[in-house]
Amino acid sequence: MPFVARHRAILLAYLGMIGLLLLTSLFSPGFLALAHLRSMSVLAAFIGIVALGQTFVILGGGIDLSVPWVLNSSAVLLTLISNGQDGPLGWAMPLILACGGAIGAINGLGIALFGVPPIIMTLAVNVILQGGILVYTGGAPTAGAPPLIQYLAVGRIGEFPVVLIIWAVLAGAASLALSKTAFGRHLYAVGTSPTVAAYSGVPTAQTTVLAYVTCGLTAALAGMLLTGYSGQAYLGMGDPYLFTSIAAVAIGGASVLGGSGHYIGTIAGAFVLTILTGLLPALNLSNGALLIVYGVVILVTVSLASEAFPELGRALRRLAVRRPGRPRNMAEAIKTPAGNREDMP
Amino acid sequence: MDLIQATAVHKRFGGITALNGADFVARSGEVHALLGENGAGKSTFIQILAGAIRADAGSILLKGKPFAPASPSQAQAAGVSAVFQELSLVPDLTVAQNIWFRREPLSALRTVRPKALRQDTQALLDRYHFPRLAADLEVRRLTLAERQVVEIAKALARSPAALILDEATSALAPRETEWLLTLSRDLAQAGMLVVFISHRLAEVRRVADRITVFRNGATVAVHDTREVTDDELIAEMLGRRLDRLYPERVATATQKLALKVRGLSAGHRLAGVDLDLAEGEVLGIAGLQGHGQRELFQSLFGVTRARGRVELWGKAVALRGPRQTLGGEFGLALVPEDRRNQGLLLSKSLRENLTLSVIPRFARFGIIDAAREKALVEEMVQFLRIRASSPEQLAGTLSGGNQQKVIFGKMLLTQSRILLLYDPTRGVDVGTKGEIFQLMRDLAAKGYAILFYSSDLLELVHVADRVAVMRNGRIAAILAGDRVTEHHILRAAMFESAAA
Repeated sequence: MPFVARHRAILLAYLGMIGLLLLTSLFSPGFLALAHLRSMSVLAAFIGIVALGQTFVILGGGIDLSVPWVLNSSAVLLTLISNGQDGPLGWAMPLILACGGAIGAINGLGIALFGVPPIIMTLAVNVILQGGILVYTGGAPTAGAPPLIQYLAVGRIGEFPVVLIIWAVLAGAASLALSKTAFGRHLYAVGTSPTVAAYSGVPTAQTTVLAYVTCGLTAALAGMLLTGYSGQAYLGMGDPYLFTSIAAVAIGGASVLGGSGHYIGTIAGAFVLTILTGLLPALNLSNGALLIVYGVVILVTVSLASEAFPELGRALRRLAVRRPGRPRNMAEAIKTPAGNREDMP
Repeated sequence: MDLIQATAVHKRFGGITALNGADFVARSGEVHALLGENGAGKSTFIQILAGAIRADAGSILLKGKPFAPASPSQAQAAGVSAVFQELSLVPDLTVAQNIWFRREPLSALRTVRPKALRQDTQALLDRYHFPRLAADLEVRRLTLAERQVVEIAKALARSPAALILDEATSALAPRETEWLLTLSRDLAQAGMLVVFISHRLAEVRRVADRITVFRNGATVAVHDTREVTDDELIAEMLGRRLDRLYPERVATATQKLALKVRGLSAGHRLAGVDLDLAEGEVLGIAGLQGHGQRELFQSLFGVTRARGRVELWGKAVALRGPRQTLGGEFGLALVPEDRRNQGLLLSKSLRENLTLSVIPRFARFGIIDAAREKALVEEMVQFLRIRASSPEQLAGTLSGGNQQKVIFGKMLLTQSRILLLYDPTRGVDVGTKGEIFQLMRDLAAKGYAILFYSSDLLELVHVADRVAVMRNGRIAAILAGDRVTEHHILRAAMFESAAA
């Protein structure tokens, strides 16, 4: 198959991203200013990092709903352990990453070995973590983020935000893993057909577990970085990332049913979501109305981009095409020759 | 009078011409076979007759009137019912509900009358002497063969004037095949037209009055069955002479045992199988549907848990699943029963499918060496003569024969030297069949050991060195030499006394 046909979904995501960027710059001049692009990229990085693991899980035919509280737990743990000091970070960060990975392993094992449906397994883990953190902290706020973490999240090397560099490195590694390693091949195979994969000798359980471990790791990392970004950990800070991590994957052109897509698409998805968040406040809506619009826009975007909802996508594309014989607006309606308006009074 | 009269039918799909002036004339009261290689346009033609797709040009008359059904239900209303290879049953409904789907007997309140439904079904099954089928069983729990039978019942329930059977026997075991052939004759006797599509010439010869041959989307010949030889038909289908369908059988078995099985049991279907397969041997496995053949293959491959002793190349092993069994030259590889759901990732490329089982082998420091992978894929494509536009063509868009070749290639790449072939020629065109048989004998000559199940007894008779016949989950007889005949196989499969 030619390159364009094979990567149609991903190319569409990038086209959408550029289009949206230009559209937004019409509404708010200064949107394309370097400083603004930079701060937007930082926000996209957080979505992108969480969505990295989610991409792996979704490609493998699963879904991880435990992302919010893995993220939140790692943020809370970080502030509790470090107590605002850089000193303990040397062992605290690896430990927290390992915890995230371990939670992912629990998700993966429950799904791959015990046959628990991914939605139930990860949702349960999410609730358990939420409860655990509430019990542990008693709901009290914890200490602030240590300076080093703040540097990772908001610092710069020259003109480049550190977090963007972290994201770029991770993105490179993820793309390599998907395109060039046996794990990547196995992941696509498991997501396309677990039966065929098993009959072909693919280590299906191992592949699934590894995908969830990755998701645990990236959620934990994002939790720590976000702590640095906001200067502290707070309860509920992971909640927005459940929706955005999945939406970024879907907007990026992956099938929500697994087997097709790529992290390169998810990157565009993360940007699209960030630009949308930046665009909507320009509409001067109340907070509640903003959420409604946000939800609707994402639903529409995802259904246009994703091959998982072909029916909805087709319906929307039909609507977008002007139907012949029907006036587009008032001006055209008035200009319609009288002969065509016999039924009018 | 001619029931169906199709003239110069054309159909294109994008850039591909599927039908290029096909003619087809058939009358009521005959069994009319439609022959042709995969890709000859048979499926497209009957899909047009069945209303699934529409012709671009050409005329079709049904009972002398223009016939261009826009949907399967229109075709059915006009009296044309088709049974396709791709089954169309709803898994969660019962046999009876499927047969009368959307045509259920209704009460005044428009609710289904279960009793009438059951009676109608039973009457239908009795009338056509259907093999035993429980009308209340959910289709999900039926085997592939049973589903095919339900599909036939569903088509007959509409009392069609023309019944189209597309490869209907390919999923059936010998006994059901026998039934369907008899049924087809009976239906024709009663005045129905039966359009019969099959790759098995022996069946066509037994059942058909006349034969139409398609090649490259056009009609190349129409024959009275009695006046044409198999060789002529094959030559017409291929457009060239095939030297022979079955390769010469040279005994290549050595004294070395590749596979030794003792007391292999699994569930209630496999009740203690003893088996010896030598290096260089093709051992056929035969049996009526559901006598443990599938479970034998799945147990050996390790996808079904089983008890018993298994030795590969003289070493006792525990069969723990494809991951262990596929490994290296002491391993086992399988061509599975269901090509589309077990064998291939249809939405992935030929290349990815071929190397799926061995991809870690191409990795250097974890990174796949794309050049090495490509080279090996190209080598395999050439060796097996897989016809594809490029290694990047999606497996789902290949013809059935080429899909099966990809599965063979995938299996050969694992370097396993014991091959388990479960009905490897199902739905494969005659040219590719010949190639597969030749490949099997060539591999045997190179020291591979092959366990070969086929639902077509003739294939076993012509390709296997010995045939083990299964009955009730055991090996009932092992036939060798002169005793490898259809007759002996069927007797051993059906009657206790033949075990001697």
